[in-house]
Amino acid sequence: MVSAYFLKRIYLSFATHVFDVPARLAAFLLFLLLIFFPVTNPTSQILLLLTLANLGAIFAVSWDLLVGRTGLMSLGHAVFFGLGAYVTALLFVHLGLPPYITIPLSIPVGVLVALIVGFPSLRVKGPYLSLISFAFPLILTGIIYYFKEYTGGERGLYGLPSFFPFLPYKDQFLAEYWFTLLLLFISGVIIYRIANSETGIVLVSILDDELASKASGINVTKYKIMTFVISGIFATIAGSVQAHILRVANTGMLEATISFIPVIVTIFGGIGTLYGPIVGAYFLQLLDGYVLGRIITIPPDWVYAKMLVYALIIIILIILWPRGVARFVTDKLEDLEEARDIDERGSKIWKKYKKKKEKVV
Amino acid sequence: MVIEIEAILIFGAISGASLALLALGFTLIYGVAEVVNFGHGSLFMWGAYLFFFFGPGGFLQLDLLWASILAVVIVAAISVIFYRLTIHPIIGDVIAGLVVTIAAALVFERLVLLIFGPMKQYIPTFVPGFTVIAGVKVTYSQLLSFGISLLLFLSLWIFIRTVKIGKAMRAVAQDREVAMLMGINTNRVYMITMAISGALAATAGILITGSTTGEAAAYMWLRPLVVSFSVVVLGGLGSIKGTLIGAFIISYAETIFVSLDPSFSYLRSVVGLTIMVIILLVRPKGLFGKRIELEE
Amino acid sequence: MHLLEVENLSKSFGGLTAVNNVSFHVDEGEIVGIIGPNGAGKTTLFHLISGFLNPDSGTVKFKGENIAGIAPHKIVNKGIARTFQVVRPFRHLPVIANVMVALKSPRGSRKIEWIKTSQRKAVDMLENVGLTELMLEPAENVGHGDLKRLEMARALATEPDLLMLDEPFGGLNPLETDFLTKSIQRIHLDHPTRGIVIVEHKLYALMKIVKRVIVFHQGEKIAEGKPEEIAKNKKVIEVYMGKAM
Repeated sequence: MVSAYFLKRIYLSFATHVFDVPARLAAFLLFLLLIFFPVTNPTSQILLLLTLANLGAIFAVSWDLLVGRTGLMSLGHAVFFGLGAYVTALLFVHLGLPPYITIPLSIPVGVLVALIVGFPSLRVKGPYLSLISFAFPLILTGIIYYFKEYTGGERGLYGLPSFFPFLPYKDQFLAEYWFTLLLLFISGVIIYRIANSETGIVLVSILDDELASKASGINVTKYKIMTFVISGIFATIAGSVQAHILRVANTGMLEATISFIPVIVTIFGGIGTLYGPIVGAYFLQLLDGYVLGRIITIPPDWVYAKMLVYALIIIILIILWPRGVARFVTDKLEDLEEARDIDERGSKIWKKYKKKKEKVV
Repeated sequence: MVIEIEAILIFGAISGASLALLALGFTLIYGVAEVVNFGHGSLFMWGAYLFFFFGPGGFLQLDLLWASILAVVIVAAISVIFYRLTIHPIIGDVIAGLVVTIAAALVFERLVLLIFGPMKQYIPTFVPGFTVIAGVKVTYSQLLSFGISLLLFLSLWIFIRTVKIGKAMRAVAQDREVAMLMGINTNRVYMITMAISGALAATAGILITGSTTGEAAAYMWLRPLVVSFSVVVLGGLGSIKGTLIGAFIISYAETIFVSLDPSFSYLRSVVGLTIMVIILLVRPKGLFGKRIELEE
Repeated sequence: MHLLEVENLSKSFGGLTAVNNVSFHVDEGEIVGIIGPNGAGKTTLFHLISGFLNPDSGTVKFKGENIAGIAPHKIVNKGIARTFQVVRPFRHLPVIANVMVALKSPRGSRKIEWIKTSQRKAVDMLENVGLTELMLEPAENVGHGDLKRLEMARALATEPDLLMLDEPFGGLNPLETDFLTKSIQRIHLDHPTRGIVIVEHKLYALMKIVKRVIVFHQGEKIAEGKPEEIAKNKKVIEVYMGKAM
């Protein structure tokens, strides 16, 4: 039967791509765990936490693509996050458009901003790039305050609708959780495919030695812009979705703290890997919300202490392990995987090459 | 709103002078140690907060002069310790440096929130009273700020050119390896530069907040940081002359822009930032920048 | 028309003149050597031709077209490839991927359609320089001599019409030097219309391969001719030996 044939092909493709490789298998199992987690009947609060973790993970992964694969150190990634939120909020408040229209609409705006931010960033090196990127969220904040009649100024925009208004309130949390999990999965797969394609190889070459890359005929600027745009798109989506999860868009989403979160998360999880930022984002969100709330009751003042502690930890971590703590673990896993990947195809080529050689001899 | 040219000229100059002082600290540590210190604005903030803390309205109730000296000295010490603990281990790694200093900025912000709380604190005016120059009302505090900023800036300029340590700083800025070969202890130079940088930031913090808004808040590290970037990029990273000129250009640009429309004051920092972005696009070296040399 | 024609090329840095009014040409199928003491401006010349530096004055014509000031990757895609004096491998990529990067460029990917995968083509390239054994090894683990050959494989992957080698024999032992000499000769035979320019210090290796030698000193061309003539040229000997004995 035709469908059995297809099922078998899908299974086989799955088997070679996923089951074969330990890291990917682990990631896949984890993902299954996350999908079925709601079976444990968690509270709405926990679901919300995990939903935010999903979005944070998308945001962190988008940042990691930029920094880990091309070395473009963006310290103002919040600009995309806030942009996504405000675009979708403004479209709703002023035009009454529903989320499933406004969120796709925020994508081209994200692309435009990525080009605006990315273009000057490319003409300059290292620290200057970070300075420029740092500037943009502030510029956007200034603009938002200036047009406060439209943007709600310091208060922000309230009352944004949920994605699932047709569901009873309690069920919305579950739906949002799965929705963001799906988004995370899709983002992860897309970014993974990019990072491990021939394009990904070129990106690593740019990271390793930009001069040699140019000398090999690579239009480095084109690749950098492309990565900026892709990174920007995902970050924008994360922001616009979050606006509808929390039902609000405000300038707090453009703060330096937000720009810094992917930095923390990625350093903890490992720069340049895919799993690192995701794990890190989950860890941070859970630590933030769940663990600290449940295990230690915090006096209200110490809300400020959280960020302080994280930042301190980051400082210590960076000094000890500049490329990320979990990098050790993920490095080993990745080496394994890369070797197997190249090996999968490489061993076939190797065999063909040896056969060719024998024929000649 | 009537735009008074005299007002613009005068206030632009006043803020230009203190901006120059602030930006000088930033460019020094970059020129000498190649560190982009995102914590520079935080040192500014500490200067203001400690001044409040030590001053008449605060804990120690010292008089203004002693309060400010103490504040500056302590911030200089903090800068050195901060450098030694966090930047020194990773010197040379630019990315790590950026992350660490921005983390430090956040740490400092939260620390201030914890210690002083989220409400604004009020900085006393140095010298009450005002005078009228060319029909414009100028407070004595502002004049004091102007005078001290220029004086300190000039002193530092001379310091770099004459005193042995200053010359060592220039040598390290030009070529670190050669400087080491000549027997200069680069680490010590870095620490001294950092102390000076912190002291300048703190002084600017006291002068600027004391003579303008009079209030200190935990998020006040952002604007000095951002305006330091703008000035230094415009003037050229590592060029002292450029910092001075850049500071005045940006100061005037901001003053003119804000005077056009009162609601533009939100966009004040945006002016400098926009200039910075344009410069980075058109002429990344800035007006007088060379790579990492400190000239003159 | 010459393949490469450099006319009155000059470049200064601050007060230092690195290249001073240099003119020379390379024709199709020629192997030309450039020699001269350290600091004579040879590498600066390469940078000027390959687009990494802009000249202060003068022209660089490639197949009749003035390429001075064009971005480096575009020059590669017009058909000039160069190697670097100090090897610049992509450390985190395996050897084969290093070559694949070059094949990802517009010029490198021209021939790929009929070969189907860049990996296969990359293996071919590695074969040319004898690096197939190491193809899966991350570049950071590979020894210096092999990295030199990798540089060349990478440059060859773009199928250049002009190949510029900057001190390809640097740091090689006699065995490796011999192998590389033979590789270069084979590469030349495979593509007889391709021009090759080699900057080198190891004169004995160079003189065996090249048809013509240009001598540089302090940014200026001081002599040009066949290897045997240059070896006897008094000015050249003086420049290399210091003051006459």
